[in-house]
Amino acid sequence: MTDTMQYGDDAAEEFRGSVREWITENAPPELTGVFDWRTREIPGYRVEQIVEAKRHPAHVEWERRCVEGGFVCPLWPVAAGGRGWNRVQKAIFEEELHAAGVPRIDRGMGEFLVGPTIVARGTAEQQARLLPPIISGQHRYCQGFSEPEYGSDLAGLQTRGAVDGDELVVTGQKIWTSGAVDANMIFLLCRTDPAAAKHRGLTFAVAEFGPHNGFDVRPIRQMSGAYDFAEEFISGARTPLSNVIGGLGEGWSVAMTTLGLERDFNLPTLSLDFLHEFGRMADRVRESGRNSDPVVRQTLARAWSHVAIMRMFAKRLLADEEGTADMVSSTKLFWSEYHRWVSTEDLDLDGAAGMLRPAGDGYPTTPIQDSFLAARAATIYAGTSQIQRNIIAERVLGLPR
Amino acid sequence: MPIDTRAPLLAAPEHEDLRRALRRFLTSAASVTRARAHAEGEEFDRAVWLRLADELGVTGLGIPEEFGGVGFGLTEQAVVLEELGRELYGGPYLASVVLGAAALLAAGDRAAQEKLLPGIAAGETVATLAAAGVDGEWRVGGPTGVVAREREGGWVLDGSCTHVPDATVADVLLVLADTEQGRGLFVLPAGSPGLSVADLSALDQTRRFSRVELRGAAAECAGTPGDGDRVLAAVLDRAAVALGAEQLGGAARCLELAVEYAKVRHQFGEPIGRFQAIKHLCADMYLAVESSRSAVMFASRALDEETAEAGAAASLTKAWCSDAFLQCAGDAMQIHGGIGYTWECDVQLYFKRAQSSKHLFGGPAHHRDTLAARLGL
Ligand SMILES: Cc1cc2nc3c(=O)[nH]c(=O)nc-3n(C[C@H](O)[C@H](O)[C@H](O)COP(=O)(O)OP(=O)(O)OC[C@H]3O[C@@H](n4cnc5c(N)ncnc54)[C@H](O)[C@@H]3O)c2cc1C
Repeated sequence: MTDTMQYGDDAAEEFRGSVREWITENAPPELTGVFDWRTREIPGYRVEQIVEAKRHPAHVEWERRCVEGGFVCPLWPVAAGGRGWNRVQKAIFEEELHAAGVPRIDRGMGEFLVGPTIVARGTAEQQARLLPPIISGQHRYCQGFSEPEYGSDLAGLQTRGAVDGDELVVTGQKIWTSGAVDANMIFLLCRTDPAAAKHRGLTFAVAEFGPHNGFDVRPIRQMSGAYDFAEEFISGARTPLSNVIGGLGEGWSVAMTTLGLERDFNLPTLSLDFLHEFGRMADRVRESGRNSDPVVRQTLARAWSHVAIMRMFAKRLLADEEGTADMVSSTKLFWSEYHRWVSTEDLDLDGAAGMLRPAGDGYPTTPIQDSFLAARAATIYAGTSQIQRNIIAERVLGLPR
Repeated sequence: MPIDTRAPLLAAPEHEDLRRALRRFLTSAASVTRARAHAEGEEFDRAVWLRLADELGVTGLGIPEEFGGVGFGLTEQAVVLEELGRELYGGPYLASVVLGAAALLAAGDRAAQEKLLPGIAAGETVATLAAAGVDGEWRVGGPTGVVAREREGGWVLDGSCTHVPDATVADVLLVLADTEQGRGLFVLPAGSPGLSVADLSALDQTRRFSRVELRGAAAECAGTPGDGDRVLAAVLDRAAVALGAEQLGGAARCLELAVEYAKVRHQFGEPIGRFQAIKHLCADMYLAVESSRSAVMFASRALDEETAEAGAAASLTKAWCSDAFLQCAGDAMQIHGGIGYTWECDVQLYFKRAQSSKHLFGGPAHHRDTLAARLGL
């Protein structure tokens, strides 16, 4: 049944009913008031507040129930502790969470990047060993790809991986590692064969993360004021060869799996969050009486248009995953550029008032200022907008490299 | 307002069959080369039109079965319009099948429907709608230049109407006119005494527009006098999406032309498509095309299913596709360099079509303002 399910058909709607029921029965009523969870998918959005909100007892209880009920990492195979859901089911579940105003319990990069990479490229043994601790929350991953000298040109990376007996020993430096402060595991790319061609000598491995394993983590302050990424000096970090995914020297092809996933943001839910954010902007405009200003009206119409188109993109991706594989770079470019634009427009509505921040230690900002700042990240990470345009031109349109 | 995209998005193999058949037909019988000839004065080719109707069945697609059509919706018609837009087809599809049929369906006059729709569905009757205001803008509530008076149990029309598409080839004209009860929709056959039609010189020569003069021309009222604004509003939402689909086709074709050229044109010893400045223009065109496609899919389904956001979706689509088409046509011209600026190069035809279509049935700024209103702003 689930294989043939189409978004919107009877089977899908029946499924919607069943998850809605589960959510109603299990979501702690006070959870919706803890935080506006409906903007939580928008990347980089108020990370510190989200971390704070997750400590609330209602969230802790909700997380426990979701883990018990098997609603964490539901796309993963049943054998790995998931539910074996298809993308339509996941989208519906998240739509219902969104409607109820409660958060999805996610496992960050463990759930979205390394987990599916292990599902696609790991052995059965690796899946059985590495996936369940992600679901339980025991393993919290960060991504060690970028290096100071190799960002867009990732394949040039220089962090070394040397085989020593049945272990891989990693030495080098990684940077811009999101969530490093909280992570206890890392998936990384290192060069295991310096003599091989650029893309050939790389290896993808997971390793324990932290000073106890040779990772000297130094948080970096972002322009938003937050310390949400870090750099690591790596001296002799060890991991068993059984933690190499896809085999020694196969790292680039495994990383391509991960990078594909990274661009494939969760558009069905992300677009709902953008719609919610639009609603707040429209309310602000109405309350201030600016809705009769023709310039503002044009802006809001443009904003809604982007969001509606995003919703339709999401639906096209759900309806035909293979046929739309080419569209992933386009949708990432579309929403990240949109958000950069709309968050600027949003802050512009504040005019000179937007020049001032709330008082306090650190660098507190209003939610709109925060969005304005954070929106600048998404056109850089997961492949910059320029890199996405290169990909579209070369891989989709077939222009010469 | 929620955005309901829940109805299944059928992979619809039939749509793709239709698209393929139509593309094959158009490239052989009604390609952009014919559009150019049409632009330079060649008569409307009724034989091709009738083959489109008979062999491909495209004229009856959106008309209900009870009136001789197939009973599909805008979703299917959008496929047709996209293909026609790719080749800048100059026949009266938009005029007759979209505007004409939609006006008759909206007006709800059973007798007029029974009389005219089967012919429109079969392609045998070509209809058009004269409903632009005196300034050429198609806008609900704008001043019409035509007055209808009751006389001896019938109606008589006086005045003139501009921006009437394909009126020179139409067999029947639908005219929006002012009455004492408000606006109403009126029907009169081509060649009626007191009716004259004169071609207008248009920026985009691939689509014909006329000025229609009415001097005491007898007409029948379709539906209720006073109901015309409602009828026009319904027609304009459909027309906005239909034209959006046509613009999508034009934009997609411009992208193809640009990419093809960028692969074969060499400068500095390399194909120009290797230059990143060209690549990024093409990538942005691709995004414009695919986002327009999403808009058309969203709006055509919303109108077919009469969802709450149908009107908003229609406005969004017309505004979005207008901008996208001009962007793609303009960038295709830029990518062609000097040759792109010539009369010979087909890109110029798309460029002029893009600018004209942008202002047909309301320009982007108007539609965005309407959209804002429809969002409760
Ligand atoms: C908030 C944030 C979080 C991040 N999190 C992580 C993480 O968790 N793990 C991780 O590994 N990395 C992470 N990154 C790093 C991110 O992947 C890189 O910043 C990105 O790949 C760009 O690399 P770079 O910073 O070295 O910039 P560069 O590659 O030096 O790019 C600089 C400029 O040159 C342009 N450019 C580069 N190459 C080309 C080209 N071929 N054509 C056209 N233009 C080009 C770029 O578009 C950009 O404008 C994060 C980045 C940010 C901003």
